[in-house]
Amino acid sequence: MTTHFPPSQIAGAGIGLRSQHYQDILTHNPPVHWFEILSDNYLAPGGQPLHYLEKIRQNYPITLHGVGMSLGASDPLDLEYLARLKRLAKRIEPAHISDHLAWISIKGHFLNDLVPLPYTEAVMEHVAQRILQAQEFLGQRLLIENPSSYITFKESAMPEWAFIQGIIDKTDCNLLLDVNNIYVSATNHGFDPIDYLDAIPAERVKEIHLAGYEKRKDYLFDTHGYQIHPPVWQLYQTALKRFGAVPTLIEWDTNIPAFEILMAEADKANAQIKKVS
Amino acid sequence: MELAALQQLFYDAIFDKEGTNEKELCKLITTANNLTANEGIAIYRGSILGKLSRALKSIYPVCYRLVGEKFFEATATTYIHRFPSKSPDLGDYGEHFPDFLVNFEPAASLPYLPDVTRLEWHWHRIFNGEDSSTLDLKALGKISQTQWGDLIFHLPKTSILLESPYPIHKIWQINQSDYEGEEYVNLEEGEIKVFLWRQGYDMRIDLPTEEEWQLLKAFQAKKPFETICEDLAVGYEPAHGVSALLTQFVQRGWIVDFSV
Ligand SMILES: [Fe+2]
Repeated sequence: MTTHFPPSQIAGAGIGLRSQHYQDILTHNPPVHWFEILSDNYLAPGGQPLHYLEKIRQNYPITLHGVGMSLGASDPLDLEYLARLKRLAKRIEPAHISDHLAWISIKGHFLNDLVPLPYTEAVMEHVAQRILQAQEFLGQRLLIENPSSYITFKESAMPEWAFIQGIIDKTDCNLLLDVNNIYVSATNHGFDPIDYLDAIPAERVKEIHLAGYEKRKDYLFDTHGYQIHPPVWQLYQTALKRFGAVPTLIEWDTNIPAFEILMAEADKANAQIKKVS
Repeated sequence: MELAALQQLFYDAIFDKEGTNEKELCKLITTANNLTANEGIAIYRGSILGKLSRALKSIYPVCYRLVGEKFFEATATTYIHRFPSKSPDLGDYGEHFPDFLVNFEPAASLPYLPDVTRLEWHWHRIFNGEDSSTLDLKALGKISQTQWGDLIFHLPKTSILLESPYPIHKIWQINQSDYEGEEYVNLEEGEIKVFLWRQGYDMRIDLPTEEEWQLLKAFQAKKPFETICEDLAVGYEPAHGVSALLTQFVQRGWIVDFSV
């Protein structure tokens, strides 16, 4: 099969691709700059979702975003997973592939949810080796995303941003900076999100995530199920001033709304990006 | 603490019910301004169980409709504690749910539930399964008469033969959101045989006759055509018996390939 895909570079605001919107997108060809898929949902060998994805790829650049690499795990790196991911990347030709600075599995048992790491020199070295191995296997540089979190380990000897800097130094990876996650973690753990932004090397930030958290009694919960909240928009503005016109994704994973609502959020992000372009 | 030991402790704290692991884990977690260690762990537990439970719900929507939200969630929670997820792909989770339900006391009053969920599991796998080619009739035409006996016909890779004492296809059907017909199913109507398969991207549930079923079974077992004809005690001259059935199978798209 010969496919004719548009170039894969991304710019401006993108939207997380969800199955509810396949028909909308295929019928109306909405003016979205790019889409991001949850790669773990497209690892199957065939079927309709992959078919739709290929059709959408014919009109839009795509990025691959996953949780399955379990980069912070202590098990050996899951090469079968990476092979499935590589096969998907070959088929879709994404702008880039990203995963998280977290772990989701232990001894082959999966939590399928992102759990933070203790931020120590030893763990940094361990995770860096795994990122290097994954990059080698996939034949490309990865974007690593900062997770939102609800616990910190006593063992941690440095803040998350210092850990990230160390990972970049050791692996030459790029960053997917989730501004919502920074805000959620800052609120839950009581640090200043500006301190976080201050420490991030601007030239490494290749994508930004925006999403809506849920306010619970004593903390913020990262559900990706709401519109982006005002303080996150504000932090985003600050981030753009520092990092420039970084491609930005509207992430929405639960209570998925009509496509127009996602478009409206993307428009807001585009307006901000324009200001710094 | 070694990373592996810390992660194992975290995993055990999420799933164990006595709370001893959680106590140990709490000693390793900083109490933040808003969240105690226990609260932090509880957030992860809720999030993890929620994700796995939603994964089951999306694979087993008919079961969910049949038993209702509360019962489904309680059932899913028991299942999740007994059967850990073993894949980064949540589409791989829930394979043992039908077998688990066979011995799940609280669901004993719904004896058809295991078979209905078995249909749902295969539906899910077939929907996302490898794409099949269509039968190359030209190539089949070139096979010489002498070679026909050695031919092995292939059903779609995305297909399954299911049997049940209950009309699971009807139970499945009336629980689809777009279903508009009769809401009644006679559970006593007798054993049924279902051929579940995918044509292109369209899912199909067919009910083969006994004759067709035997032939499907033989093709599934990858028996050569001659053996099949002998087993079914009919000749394989064109337009007779097995050959006539084979023609129908080909027309329906049940045969997607062959090998010698
Ligand atoms: Fe994110």
